[in-house]
Amino acid sequence: MAATAQSMRGFEHLEGLPEAVFKRLYQQPATALAIFRRMLPNLGKTFVMAMLFNPDPIPISSLEAWVHPNKNSLKEEAFAKLRQLHLVTERQGTFALDPTFKVELKKALTGGGPPGCFGLPCDTDDKKKVDVSFLDKYATEQWESILHFMVGNEVPSSRRPSEGVVRLLLHGKLMEKARSSQETIITQLGFSFLLQEVNSQVWTLLLLYLDMAEQLRMDPVDILHFLFLLGSLELGQDYDMKSLTPTQKGMLEDLRDYGIVYQRKSSSRRFYPTRLATALTSEVRALSSPATTMRNAISQSDENGFLIVETNYRMYAYTNSPLQIAVLNLFARLISRFPNLVTARITRESIRLAINKGITAEQIIDYMTANAHPQLRKNTPILPPTVVDQIRLWQIEGERMKATHGYLFKEFTSNSEFNAVCKYANDIGVLVWADKPKMMLFVSKHEQIADYIRKRVQSNK
Amino acid sequence: MDNVDGTEHYNLKVTSELPTLQVIILDTNPLAWDSLNRTSNLSFPAALSQLLIFANAHLAFSQSNRAAVIANHIDGAYFLSPAPPGTDTSDPDEASLTPEQQRDIAQSNASKYRGFRLLEDEVRATYRRLIRATDPKAVAESANASYLSGALGLALTYINRVCFGGSGGRSNGIPGEERGKVNAAGGQVDDTGRTMHAKILVVSVTPDPAMQYITVMNCIFAAQRLKVPIDVCKLRDSTVFLQQAADATGGVYIEPEAPQGLLQYLMMGFLPDHTARQSLILPTKVDVDFRAACFCHKKVLDIGFVCSICLSIFCEPPDNAVCSTCDTKLDVSSLANIGKPVVALPKKKKKKRALDSLSESNTPSAADSPVPIP
Repeated sequence: MAATAQSMRGFEHLEGLPEAVFKRLYQQPATALAIFRRMLPNLGKTFVMAMLFNPDPIPISSLEAWVHPNKNSLKEEAFAKLRQLHLVTERQGTFALDPTFKVELKKALTGGGPPGCFGLPCDTDDKKKVDVSFLDKYATEQWESILHFMVGNEVPSSRRPSEGVVRLLLHGKLMEKARSSQETIITQLGFSFLLQEVNSQVWTLLLLYLDMAEQLRMDPVDILHFLFLLGSLELGQDYDMKSLTPTQKGMLEDLRDYGIVYQRKSSSRRFYPTRLATALTSEVRALSSPATTMRNAISQSDENGFLIVETNYRMYAYTNSPLQIAVLNLFARLISRFPNLVTARITRESIRLAINKGITAEQIIDYMTANAHPQLRKNTPILPPTVVDQIRLWQIEGERMKATHGYLFKEFTSNSEFNAVCKYANDIGVLVWADKPKMMLFVSKHEQIADYIRKRVQSNK
Repeated sequence: MDNVDGTEHYNLKVTSELPTLQVIILDTNPLAWDSLNRTSNLSFPAALSQLLIFANAHLAFSQSNRAAVIANHIDGAYFLSPAPPGTDTSDPDEASLTPEQQRDIAQSNASKYRGFRLLEDEVRATYRRLIRATDPKAVAESANASYLSGALGLALTYINRVCFGGSGGRSNGIPGEERGKVNAAGGQVDDTGRTMHAKILVVSVTPDPAMQYITVMNCIFAAQRLKVPIDVCKLRDSTVFLQQAADATGGVYIEPEAPQGLLQYLMMGFLPDHTARQSLILPTKVDVDFRAACFCHKKVLDIGFVCSICLSIFCEPPDNAVCSTCDTKLDVSSLANIGKPVVALPKKKKKKRALDSLSESNTPSAADSPVPIP
């Protein structure tokens, strides 16, 4: 499930934000709800809800007593996430929800927020109202034009992506200026971007946008608020710009270029979110349906898939779309081309080239599965297992060694201390390696471990 | 070199969490709520608001979570949300509103999350319609009326439709039967063929509807088969049936000591979904009242009579000694003595019968078995 990993990346990025940013993020009901929904593990959500309407802080011991003793690791994972997102404050053995977050999530649940905190619908009817199918078509066209531009297809000038989009692609190193000419060409990062699922592509671009906006001195919190707000809007409803901040109004123009929102004119005061926007904060499974819709919409000419893969590694693609051919060319050796058919072959070389470009085997397999021809779909599993296994094997040929960034703890004073820390690290799931005789352990994250050791020392005094 | 092993690449399994459908069965008997309000100061509007917040919290867990509300009314069970297709879900009072008021409503709507607002509006509007359609006279006559079995039946049929892919295929399927990984609707399914988990919450203020004992028990067993926990929040009048329902289906049973704080009970006790419940210790009733109601007069019994063929329960031997459920002719001759004091037993008869049976059983055995010779 590489697609899962990638669409989650958007939220992992957020985890690294400093505490002050989080405190400000929680000031909007829509953001509080989106963060609650997307970033917490199930047990974490349960804890938050148990504390939400409780006026007093809850003793940690009572939360611990609530959980089955054999599910300790899940509990520690939930606690760790709550601390990491600065959702709880710990005082004298009790947990209290962050006051701002508490208030705003309550507002989200009870509907007591300020008007427009979940978008302000226009109070007058649009004379030229657009429907959902129009919005889908618009979003698809806009998004597709960016993808076409990236693979260097000839696109009519009217559908060429705007300067802002090009700047963003260059900034994110998805494309770069060729040395010899003024033309922009796609990079390896760009190739792996192309193979992602639409929703993860959107998040990738938006995070790049966030990154670039910080350089332009735009307020990242404002931007994130708006993105989370977009995720909670209703498809096909027109919204008023009145409730937006100036930064957000500026963003609208860029988002319109990506096809995330629709505005008839830039001077218009109403905007429509498209499916790309409303899927922003949905979780992976819910997203698979809009994403499939989008994918189907993107490959409209052959909405049932076009790819046939045989056990002898030959591929037949019933397509004439330059975009799809370019994508195929990423991981297969093209052999011949006919008006409606391309034949290709998956070889060790072609896969290794793709992997060197930063594309993973899972991405390739997901792409082939998603675009499988109806004829191929009759089989279970859809793709021939030999091909799938071989692609994976080709990938792990190159993975003889794996580097993990982390921290080494050593020179423990006693064996019991070492064992306790070791157990704790294992419980919260950060332990990578431990050597008992040498009393050393290696962890991927150190903050909580340090906290834990400090607490132990204090309690021993 | 052994460390360079590729097999783990194949074993990467995504432990997926299925979304949850929460069905809330709410008693709407006006008189019962009124007496609850007088004793413990929790009015129906307050309880409904808290329940809606609970439903919102459930929906907030995941975008794919769904909720349904069923009214257990005095004369039947009705869906409050999702409203039956074809019903007018607009608020019946809306026509009388001034434009200013309507704009205020639109403003307040803008401050609510879409999913929450839709549910709330639908529940409130259909509830108002339901109350309008209710005859005040009928209310006065039925202080304790409840349609628990109907409401449970509606909930279970709805769950069957929503959670098993809309195919309704559960009727001839066996629970636990392996199905394809993708159902007809294209949704993800687990190994029992369900696309969603489901749970039922019964918020009850009425006493046991003893007349519905059999149907309620059948619903409980159906829920057990579908692996749907029935949670019970009993605000008034402890009940036997609902205790058994929660116990048999692995649901939560709470009788709040302070009903005004309903919301906190809901949030802590009833909100955890299927995944969370596997790792939590949930409040259940330890000493469950397992008493049953008799099939003839619907009385709740400590000790009764049981048909030896179909296990139907009776509070007294049935008329003509014929079981009303399976039409079996029962031998009730030996029952005549039950309940009478021992001294009142007709001694002569007993002696004779005892002697008879003794001689009957002794004669052949004396002949057959070898007798040790002294």
